[in-house]
Amino acid sequence: MMIKKMLHPFQEYQAGMTRRNFFGKMAQGIGAMALGSILNPHILSGAPTNPFGLATNNGLGLPHFTPKAKRVIYLFQNGAPSHVDLFDYKPMLRKWHGKQIPDSLTSGKRFSTMTGEQTARPVIGEISNFAQHGQSGAWVSDFMPETAKIADELCFIKSMYTESVNHAPAITFFLTGSEQPGRPSMGSWLTYGLGSTAKDLPDFVAMTSRDKEASCGQIFYDYYWGSGFLPTKFQGVKFRGGGDPVLYLENPQGIPRKMRRKILDNIQELNEMNHADYGDTEIHTRIAQYEMAYKMQMSVPELTDFSDEPQHILDMYGPDVHRKGSFAYNCLMARRLAERDVRFIQCMHAGWDQHTNLNYQLITQCRDTDAPSAALIKDLKQRGMLEDTLVIWGGEFGRTPFLQGNIKDVRNWGRDHHPYVFTLWMAGAGVKPGLSYGASDEFGFNPVEVPVHVHDFQATVMHLMGIDHEQFTFKHQGRRYRLTDVDGHVVKDILS
Amino acid sequence: MVKEIKITLFLLCGFLWLSGCGISMPDEIETAYEALPEKIDFNFHVRPILSDRCFNCHGPDENTRKANLRLDVEEAIFSKITESGSFPVVKGKPEKSQLISRILSEDSDLIMPTPESNLSLSPEEKAILIKWVEQGAEWKLHWAYTVPKKVELPTVKNTDWPKNKIDYFVLDKLESNGLRPSEEASKETLIRRLSFDLNGLPPTPQEVEAFKNNASTNAYEKLVDRLLASPRYGERWAWEWLDVARYADTNGFQGDFTRDMWPWRDWVIKAFNENMPYDEFTIKQLAGDLLPGATPENILATAFNRNHPYNTEGGTIPEETRVVNVFDRVETTGTAWLGLTMNCARCHDHKYDAITQKEYYQLFDYFNQTSEEGGGWGGKIKPLLNLSDAEKRQEMEGLLEYIDGLVEQVEVFEFEKFPRDFGLPASESSVAKELKGLDPRILLKPTDNRATGEFRVLSEYFKKKDMAYANLLTDVFAKKKSYDELASSSIMVMVMDELEEPRTTYILDRGGYNNPMLNEAICMDVPAVLPPLPKDEKNNRLALAKWLVSKEQPLTSRVTINRYWQHFFGKGIVKTIEDFGVQGALPSHPELLDWLAVDFQENNWDLKRLFKKIVMSATYRQSSKVSEELLEKDSENTYLARATRMRLPSWMLRDQALYVSGLLVDSIGGRPVKPYQPEGIWSEATFGKTIYQQDKGDALYRRSLYTFWRRIVGPTFLFDNASRQLSTVKSANTNTPLHALTTLNDITYVEASRVMAENVLLEKNNDVKRLQYAFEKATTRRPDAEELSLLKNRLADLRNYYSASKEDALALNSIGEYRTNDSLNLVDHAAYTAICSLILNLDETINRQ
Repeated sequence: MMIKKMLHPFQEYQAGMTRRNFFGKMAQGIGAMALGSILNPHILSGAPTNPFGLATNNGLGLPHFTPKAKRVIYLFQNGAPSHVDLFDYKPMLRKWHGKQIPDSLTSGKRFSTMTGEQTARPVIGEISNFAQHGQSGAWVSDFMPETAKIADELCFIKSMYTESVNHAPAITFFLTGSEQPGRPSMGSWLTYGLGSTAKDLPDFVAMTSRDKEASCGQIFYDYYWGSGFLPTKFQGVKFRGGGDPVLYLENPQGIPRKMRRKILDNIQELNEMNHADYGDTEIHTRIAQYEMAYKMQMSVPELTDFSDEPQHILDMYGPDVHRKGSFAYNCLMARRLAERDVRFIQCMHAGWDQHTNLNYQLITQCRDTDAPSAALIKDLKQRGMLEDTLVIWGGEFGRTPFLQGNIKDVRNWGRDHHPYVFTLWMAGAGVKPGLSYGASDEFGFNPVEVPVHVHDFQATVMHLMGIDHEQFTFKHQGRRYRLTDVDGHVVKDILS
Repeated sequence: MVKEIKITLFLLCGFLWLSGCGISMPDEIETAYEALPEKIDFNFHVRPILSDRCFNCHGPDENTRKANLRLDVEEAIFSKITESGSFPVVKGKPEKSQLISRILSEDSDLIMPTPESNLSLSPEEKAILIKWVEQGAEWKLHWAYTVPKKVELPTVKNTDWPKNKIDYFVLDKLESNGLRPSEEASKETLIRRLSFDLNGLPPTPQEVEAFKNNASTNAYEKLVDRLLASPRYGERWAWEWLDVARYADTNGFQGDFTRDMWPWRDWVIKAFNENMPYDEFTIKQLAGDLLPGATPENILATAFNRNHPYNTEGGTIPEETRVVNVFDRVETTGTAWLGLTMNCARCHDHKYDAITQKEYYQLFDYFNQTSEEGGGWGGKIKPLLNLSDAEKRQEMEGLLEYIDGLVEQVEVFEFEKFPRDFGLPASESSVAKELKGLDPRILLKPTDNRATGEFRVLSEYFKKKDMAYANLLTDVFAKKKSYDELASSSIMVMVMDELEEPRTTYILDRGGYNNPMLNEAICMDVPAVLPPLPKDEKNNRLALAKWLVSKEQPLTSRVTINRYWQHFFGKGIVKTIEDFGVQGALPSHPELLDWLAVDFQENNWDLKRLFKKIVMSATYRQSSKVSEELLEKDSENTYLARATRMRLPSWMLRDQALYVSGLLVDSIGGRPVKPYQPEGIWSEATFGKTIYQQDKGDALYRRSLYTFWRRIVGPTFLFDNASRQLSTVKSANTNTPLHALTTLNDITYVEASRVMAENVLLEKNNDVKRLQYAFEKATTRRPDAEELSLLKNRLADLRNYYSASKEDALALNSIGEYRTNDSLNLVDHAAYTAICSLILNLDETINRQ
């Protein structure tokens, strides 16, 4: 059964203008739904939005209140950056350098097997030099000169803590609220809950990069941006570092775009005929998705073409910006995606796992990430986009204030995984700039002021997006799941 | 205002009492009450409400239970509450039941559910609870825990329609909901539907023709029998079981080493093709190694429980990995056979289902007895089944024994060389700490856990320092290396075994491997809510497997029927395929599910018989066409007044493209193959450590089932498939632009279009016939005049284009590695390649209608 519905004159006009003769003689019979979804790609994600990009019609009643942030850029630092060498200045460490860290701190704590059975745990002082920066006087080490310059834009949370001592579970915990794979990631929750805003791009994009030396990388599992038990259309679309940024994006050789258009028109027409016969509404979704695929074939290359960026902008992100798949490249991509109203942009950078190469690898790692991260903040700010974009920078845990390895073997110094306290920064929409929040003890070992659990952090991100994390649940296998599991409190003190 | 209502209600009370209502209700509840069915059923109406809104605080989990009140067991809900002296529920007396007064309360301190819970009850739900109490508050065991029974077939009005027993149950529901079944689908539609459902491939035009022309009354049944007997049947259903079994060809995690599990995959195909009864299929996979006189094939079947991911990432703690693997086995068993989500009970008593944390660890104990230790390296982690010939096996066993002896000597050596406190690793000796330039992590490892290469590093290091020690190390290295070489050229499947000295199982506090609660040793047993194990048999993994498929155990047959049902009708009779617990969905056709479950057991757990029954039904044979009226009445097709139109799984889409083009290499089993994959996928995922070496020739065109599955990054041509990280029973079916890009642009599909075009050109001699043939190959039907004219116009346009642009024609025709037929006209061939790609992308082609 065909849905015979007259088109609104304006729709008809738009149809004519945008896609001349698209359905040829079938135009009269186009289901209103199909046409609606072609004209309004927001329908594609299954979650239409109103013109303000706020409320959705998906029956979830979201957002719960006016959001501060429209979108999130999460610069995830895989491997765990050393908080004591970068942001959490502890003069005590140099005083205690070479001395065994007090047993009162380490007894009963879990570390990875790399130091779990090591009995000597000498403190080592920071390998960098710290200074205070900006009006806020935030402590930043000289490994991060560009970040130091924008310290007044940032809100450092210095009392973060987590539960897992290994990478994959800890990253999964940060991104999905559970150590075991299988739950939806933060970006999936948000795109599911808040609906679609991007016109011709996916609403949740993930990108990955690693240190140039590839010294010690962790694998990027696709469940880091997976949709878990939410429908798969809410999973992050991974933009690749090489080749087509989206798999199978390019038409086969010998099928130019004009020809693709004509073939698609035929497919859509034949599908319409089938719909007339079968009445299955999924056919209309299919038509819309083929149209979206076609749009992405145009929008993605345009997105990745940096030739319209002025030189001073490119310079700001650093020389790596031209190397596809580098962190700098991904940061600029993040800004371009944000401009195109992509809701959740997840850039993951690996290589922070300095078990045996702290003295030379940490600085390389900082060189790769410092300028691009700072450039992204400045770039968003000058475009007025920092006001409604939330930027997050941080890893899955911190690193031990004590040494992994032999203190005489300076070249192989390292620090082990440290979930008990670490630092993360946020900036932009709804977050107080120039704030250092929370504190660790004098060894940078445990939090002493306002500890912030991963679920608290997640609750806060949700809050900034206009969502009460306790109310936003999805029923699966008989249980109502939420990103923050059964915990989490919004860290109100950091909200502007 | 409240007072007024109370007074009015008081005045009305006499009237209400007469009208059958013993309690005053606000208007909206009263309205809802009027609309309720005559008889409230505990399982279908009441328990879902109690479970969803109350059990979180008043359910099985002792640790979070509030006010010491539980509403999930019969004794408790009718017993006096000690503190207040009142009763949660008094049969027949809502006004005396605390449960009712609390849900009607307007006092925020008293109302249930509490405002903080973020839960609430609708007027209808409140009315249900009231009416249930009024009607005597009958309590029943959760439906899925009761033994299924065959009920008598319902009587139906339209006695002409049913073809077998399934139809009586379906029609009964349709008639009581004022719905009519749809007409039977066309023969073309039916043969395509059947071919995909039973064999995972479409029919050939010749097969369609033969079926259409066969007017005999048993033509349909003959077709069904042929498809059930085809070896493709085993391949089609093996895929589904591989998703359940989280099968992959690598470990997952960092390193992601390749393993040899594919002989087990071939065992599965064979089991399906030989129609192994499902109870035997279950017992062999869960406990084949424990069968009396277990054959290598029985042991091979147990690879099922070693298919889980295995973490050998640097820094992981072996015991943690081992425990996580046991968790996986418990939970996979829960999902695949019991339809119960067990994972909550790892850390605490289940919030909803009557599974305590202790019971979880009782199941854990069954799977806790293998010699797997959690450590190890590579993709061949013991216990292993070596499939090499006897001579090679002997050689390898001899080597292992010899190596063990040598390693013992190393142990003795290091004990003297690196003095340290008892129990500490060699690296903690002060002597070891003085060693410069040696990775301390090697000496940290126990001697029998060091990798082959580490022995070489050690021997090199000590060459100038301690000759005797170095020589011994060199010897270990050499022997280990020979063993490794023999192993790498052997097929060694990871399987299950049973320790002679059993491990003691403890409850792990909050699921932490390092937090055993040592006060109580846990012994293997099944959950108390289900029937007990037989008393006279030895209790071990084999007993558990037999119990799972015993007559008394109510879940396995229901869960299995339901899982398979979804592949024929788009969803299960119980929509939550993975959850038959109290929070799961209720069956849409409970009597049908039970009838099928009992019938399945009574008939030797015969899957082919079950599938035949399903596809022979009139229910299955309906058309999937849907009117607007029906769509409005039953958009989800719960009542089955039509067949369900379904997008083919992505693996079937690829198989279809290969098959209709003529590319498919139709052979069964063997090593996994590596077909086309865009460049850089593996290397990006593994930091350049692993490069995808695409196969050549026939290997490119095997069924998708045989594609090598790297667990951290599965085959890229798939979408919506289970990720094979954990057991998955529910099929996903989404619709995204990325799917469109795959079937439009993936080299597999373009090459298939090219070869399909070649066959079409050679097979038929004019455009109309060719277009018809191509269309028919993909959809099983002839295009109508309008469709044909559209294709003809496009063909003409394509010919024009490719005549003018020969380079594009050449470019298109050289996609893929299959040889190009130079005898064909280049322009024709390119135009038809584009047409075939168009046809392979039609919604009708990618769906089974």
